[in-house]
Amino acid sequence: MRPRVLAAMSGGVDSSVAAALLVERGYEVIGVTMKLFCHGDSVPDRPCCSLESIDDARRVCEQLGIPHYVLNMERAFGRDVVDDFVREYARGRTPIPCVRCNTFTKFRDLVAKADALDAPWIATGHYARTSEGVMRRGRDPGKDQSYFLWGIDRAVIARLLLPVGELTKTETRARARTLGLDVVADKIESQDICFVPDGDHAAVVARRLGADAPALASGPFVTTAGDVIGEHDGFVRYTVGQRRGLPGGSSRPLYVVAIRPEDRAVVIGPRDELFGHSVVAREVNWLVPSAPPIGAHVEVQVRHRAAPVRATIAHLEMHDGPTAGRGGEIELSLATPVAAIAPGQSVVLYADDCVLGGGVIEGQR
Amino acid sequence: MPSPIYLDHAATTPVRPEVVAAMTPFFGPRFGNPSSIHRWGREARAALDEARSRVARCLGAHTDEICFTSCGTEGDNFAILGAWRTARQRGRRAVVTSGIEHKAVLGAVHQAALEGAEERMLSVDARGSVDRGSFGELVRDDAAICSVMWVNNEIGTIQDIPELAHTAHARGVTFHTDAVQAFGKIAIDASRQPFDLLTVSGHKVGAPKGIGALYIRRGTPLEPLLHGGAQDAGRRPGTENVAFAVGFACAAELATAERDAECARLVRLRDALETALMARIPDAVVHGRGGPRAPHILNISVPGTDSESMLMALDLAGVAASSGSACQSGSVSPSHVLAAIGVAPDLAAAAVRMSLGALTTDDDVVRVAALFPALAEKARRLSGTRA
Repeated sequence: MRPRVLAAMSGGVDSSVAAALLVERGYEVIGVTMKLFCHGDSVPDRPCCSLESIDDARRVCEQLGIPHYVLNMERAFGRDVVDDFVREYARGRTPIPCVRCNTFTKFRDLVAKADALDAPWIATGHYARTSEGVMRRGRDPGKDQSYFLWGIDRAVIARLLLPVGELTKTETRARARTLGLDVVADKIESQDICFVPDGDHAAVVARRLGADAPALASGPFVTTAGDVIGEHDGFVRYTVGQRRGLPGGSSRPLYVVAIRPEDRAVVIGPRDELFGHSVVAREVNWLVPSAPPIGAHVEVQVRHRAAPVRATIAHLEMHDGPTAGRGGEIELSLATPVAAIAPGQSVVLYADDCVLGGGVIEGQR
Repeated sequence: MPSPIYLDHAATTPVRPEVVAAMTPFFGPRFGNPSSIHRWGREARAALDEARSRVARCLGAHTDEICFTSCGTEGDNFAILGAWRTARQRGRRAVVTSGIEHKAVLGAVHQAALEGAEERMLSVDARGSVDRGSFGELVRDDAAICSVMWVNNEIGTIQDIPELAHTAHARGVTFHTDAVQAFGKIAIDASRQPFDLLTVSGHKVGAPKGIGALYIRRGTPLEPLLHGGAQDAGRRPGTENVAFAVGFACAAELATAERDAECARLVRLRDALETALMARIPDAVVHGRGGPRAPHILNISVPGTDSESMLMALDLAGVAASSGSACQSGSVSPSHVLAAIGVAPDLAAAAVRMSLGALTTDDDVVRVAALFPALAEKARRLSGTRA
């Protein structure tokens, strides 16, 4: 019997090609599209997760001759991803919902669906690679998405198929054309967060918390020296490292260096105040069998697409109990200072192209 | 892999070979437009008239009381909006229906509400029967129309339509029933049952998708939905679908002639399936059980499972079933019918509707009775371990 694989299909080119490649390799592929949220009528055309994308995925599956199902995962996604997204912004942090979607929605809830359907394998269109239970960067350095995958359950890696991780984006598009997947071959890639229409995350926060939430209320711009030099229209609109939307008139360019939700202050300063020498992260998760010891040398990345920097594990505290291997705190000393270490973003640890693990950035020291 | 099993006859049925044969000439030499004055037109007109009178006979109706439509949704919309838009001019401003109606009725009632109607919802009890007290209270002489479905499409419960229609009539309220699932299962006789408007659909009884009819009792004022030509005396302008009307007439006659025998067969199969499933899954819940129920529908929830996983697993095992309703995207949504009869959300979210019909055999029932409990057991075990 052919091995059965549940392929998550967004209706985009990457997951479509992933499914097609698995069909080619002789798997019994079951295409599923996760319906994660519903804008209702308010947002007619979204490039992802809209009805149109679901229809595209369905058409690709028809073309591949495989079944396609739509999974309604709105409730769990709302709870695990959107609620956290709103909570984090309300705390003055900058969350990455894609990390939580991978951790909870795709590689926990969808894996449960795969189990229910007797599918030993699960596939997505991520640009990352798995081999022998190890997660590696995708082959295309410009597309590598391993940064978003550090939070998944390590046990899932052994049953995870990421066929486009071996390709460059250009190769993926070319494969889509040779496979005749015209529906998706030249689809424009969405850079937005799927459930945030027009990139307006403040609107999502406002919809959930109400327009009078503190995160959306005006507050002071404060310099690192403590001087109030203006007023902003809600700290939710700011993130550490941001330049846009700050008061002018300074001789040097100014950046957001911190957000203080307790007095709704957006703290700003010159570029040199943006650099950190160490990163503290929580909710640590490991994708390798045992955590590297204190003192171990690793490479870390604090943003998607940032160049990795060398670092040393300065402190590590693991939680025991039901979530062994997940949770706990880590401090990393950076060999070279890194700019804009934003709380809520992820720090991901690598050894060469192998993902060791990661955590949610708490701050810098 | 063993041959697949189709248990979704409430969604649609295969077109019967007799129907295909009856329609074929109209895709060939008999292609005329019934409105044309020449021989091709006359020929088409004759076929259409004959089809109309054949459908009328199946419903105990006069020929001129049959209006061909494109589907059940059109029939429901025409009945409700047509009656509302006429009656509001006479000061009747309420539209009455129940929470277990098909979306075609609920959507039309909602539209009437947007046009100024007062929307009144009848209460329905846990077995899926419309509450008489509520009916007596809401169907007053200020109501334009009352619409109650004869057989529910999700749980199969049967309403006492003759009785409800009689009560409505006594108050001068136009009475409509969506009989899409009832047709071919229940004896419909307009000459003895006092409904004013009745919707039927072809593809539930072996005709193609794209044809249905609305029964309109003589003297029932109804504003048309479409405007244009004089077809069907202006009630439903637009060139008639002669081939499908002929096909529908053929299917309707077959369904009517075979009704008693087929119903007896389906009750036997449905009850066998239900008994086998309940024996193997003692805590399963059959919705609509206990009241009068149409022979072809079995809607069952296994606690601790979810419809979505069950339907996928069944499909992958070759069994076609459905849940109550699907949203536009094709994802499974919670059933408004089960909510309306007070089924707890978790149980409603586990509902699987299996609907039997022409394709269903004894062997199908035996196979599904073996397969379903195994899939349910698996789904239940996994949901228990889920985070």
